[in-house]
Amino acid sequence: MGDGNATNNRGLSSNNKPEWLQQYDLIGKIGEGTYGLVFLARIKSPTANRGKSIAIKKFKQSKDGDGVSPTAIREIMLLREISHENVVKLVNVHINHTDMSLYLAFDYAEHDLYEIIRHHRDKVNHVISQYTVKSLLWQLLNGLNYLHSNWIIHRDLKPSNILVMGEGDEQGVVKIGDFGLARIYQAPLKPLSDNGVVVTIWYRAPELLLGAKHYTSAVDMWAVGCIFAELLTLKPLFQGVEVKGNPNPFQLDQLDKIFKVLGHPTPEKWPTLANLPHWQQDLQHIQGHKYENTGLYNVVHLSPKTPAYDLLSRMLEYDPRKRLTASQALEHEYFRNDPLPGRNALVCQTGEKVNYPTRPVDTSTDFEGTTSLQPPQTVSSGNAVSGTMSGAHGGTMRSVPRQMAVGGMQRMQPQGMPAYNITSQAGMGGGMNPNGIPMQRGVPAQAHQQQLRRKDPGMGTNIYPPQQKSRRL
Amino acid sequence: MAANFWTSSHQKQLLDQEEVDVVHPLDKDKGITLEDFKLIKMHMANYILKLAQHVKVRQRVVATAVAYMRRVYTRKSMNEYDPRLVAPTCLYLASKAEESTVQARLLVFVLKKLYSDEKYRYDRYEIKDILEMEMKILEALNYYLVVFHPYRALSQLLQDAGLNDISMTQLTWGLVNDTYKTDLVLIHAPHLIALACIYVASVLREKDTTAWFEELRIDMNAVKNISMEILDFYENHRMITDERIIAALSKLNLKP
Repeated sequence: MGDGNATNNRGLSSNNKPEWLQQYDLIGKIGEGTYGLVFLARIKSPTANRGKSIAIKKFKQSKDGDGVSPTAIREIMLLREISHENVVKLVNVHINHTDMSLYLAFDYAEHDLYEIIRHHRDKVNHVISQYTVKSLLWQLLNGLNYLHSNWIIHRDLKPSNILVMGEGDEQGVVKIGDFGLARIYQAPLKPLSDNGVVVTIWYRAPELLLGAKHYTSAVDMWAVGCIFAELLTLKPLFQGVEVKGNPNPFQLDQLDKIFKVLGHPTPEKWPTLANLPHWQQDLQHIQGHKYENTGLYNVVHLSPKTPAYDLLSRMLEYDPRKRLTASQALEHEYFRNDPLPGRNALVCQTGEKVNYPTRPVDTSTDFEGTTSLQPPQTVSSGNAVSGTMSGAHGGTMRSVPRQMAVGGMQRMQPQGMPAYNITSQAGMGGGMNPNGIPMQRGVPAQAHQQQLRRKDPGMGTNIYPPQQKSRRL
Repeated sequence: MAANFWTSSHQKQLLDQEEVDVVHPLDKDKGITLEDFKLIKMHMANYILKLAQHVKVRQRVVATAVAYMRRVYTRKSMNEYDPRLVAPTCLYLASKAEESTVQARLLVFVLKKLYSDEKYRYDRYEIKDILEMEMKILEALNYYLVVFHPYRALSQLLQDAGLNDISMTQLTWGLVNDTYKTDLVLIHAPHLIALACIYVASVLREKDTTAWFEELRIDMNAVKNISMEILDFYENHRMITDERIIAALSKLNLKP
């Protein structure tokens, strides 16, 4: 960021790498989405942050010839203003004027709730410890309370956007990521619903499903409720089938899934319900189904008398005006009972912990998204596919990008990935880099892994230049 | 923070008048005086407003765009950052930041239609130039895009003072709009600018607001200084002619 010139890369070095890029060692690709790629990199010398891991989100120039994508603008705009322990930190922005691409550099988070939940469900076959669930939830609410008190609605909370720091001095700290849909809602020039439907359908609040035009920060709290339940049961709470189509199709199945568990909302309990477009238009459709109220407590296996159940049910309140706010939730009894929430959500004080797998890194892809000619040296085929548990730190740099580091990227489907093992990757690599563009080659896995995990104590140091002097009042 | 001015990047970036009134050395070499510098910025603020009216975006987008343009010229020279391109690009970027995106294509269409026969030659730029300049401006702004404006404070304050009748609302709103023709947005907090506009309006309309201002317990000196600046602007504005603007722009000797 700096004075602008530091990020200026018109002067290309001998190896064709823009100047700003030379401050990083590229490790590889860790995610991919509709508007770009996510890379893992490390800061080179000589800064105090040497060796620190950074996730770099590259935005492609939008295809419609309309410059920097509004998503990137939104994300930069908000993240440049906010700073909180439980919100992902934007450490730098870079522009490559040659190909008009934009790069956002974030502190790297090794884990996210999607992967943590998946690990417990598929590998550990054991629920997440009470301490970890409570700590994750508390920190998520703490970050959200900060956002909401600054009039920011996230609008896309889901497990894969809730990041958790890996080993280092911030281990087990939750970071809310992906602000591509976030908005300041204090004085919108247009109704908030104007730029399309937001929030992944499973975490979408009922007022949105029913067509509310002016929604509030309560939509984020609904999503937190869904995430809380998922942390408890390891299964998405309301797994509706999304209706595709434009614009804003009515998501009957998703509502159906919610009603099955919570029963029908009624205008008595939710007075403004009658004003919601879909409730009126689809009255028969919606109310045509009769549900045996299975009860939320049955689904999440909690006694209705527990504080955990009480908190969850208040987050899943139908009427957004009655739904618990983040600041109210933080005051809830659940957080005052043992085990108390802690800063390191992954390791409680008795030292009990689960070793979560590290993010797979596709080391064969460079910043241009081009695959190299040779298979990456960092991947050992033995570990390439297994989502190892205790051996996770031994060198599990799987060759498949499985997950984003900063959120917002579409999850890759491992089954469909040609590069899922080293053989096919080598095959693919040959065909995908016709220009033979040189890439940053990773060091052997073992060393890599260690460097990734060693965090410089000075890493929190702000690398922005000092602010211009402030004055007046 | 995004909604709290006191912790915002905007607040941290406020400058002193003397810092704003620095003509970039490259522009100085071209013979640009401080007066020329101010004149060109004012002219470009008008240009942004005119474009905005044609592409139909709201006043807040205009205000943000003008703030961007003025911030750019606290750091960059007009020689390198042609105001004729910077102005529409600031409007383009502001429209995204304020969630009312205007297509680059439309913007270029409008500026060609409006200005093809003028001697300032605004019409020489194409979509590609705007998109390239967008990135340069992002960089020049150091990626700080949130700008606070006096409008919200204005309506709250008018209500509080019991002055929210149509006549006072329109007058003060117009005054606030005109403050963007000066560098006030770079120097003062938005609520102080709003208060100064109320102050000026209440003097013009002979409303006694002394007691109300006293109760606010704000820095009345700052409010009066801003008010003087606003009055100075109207005073000087009458003497600004097209010839003077053309003369100033021609010194830049911008490449065709």
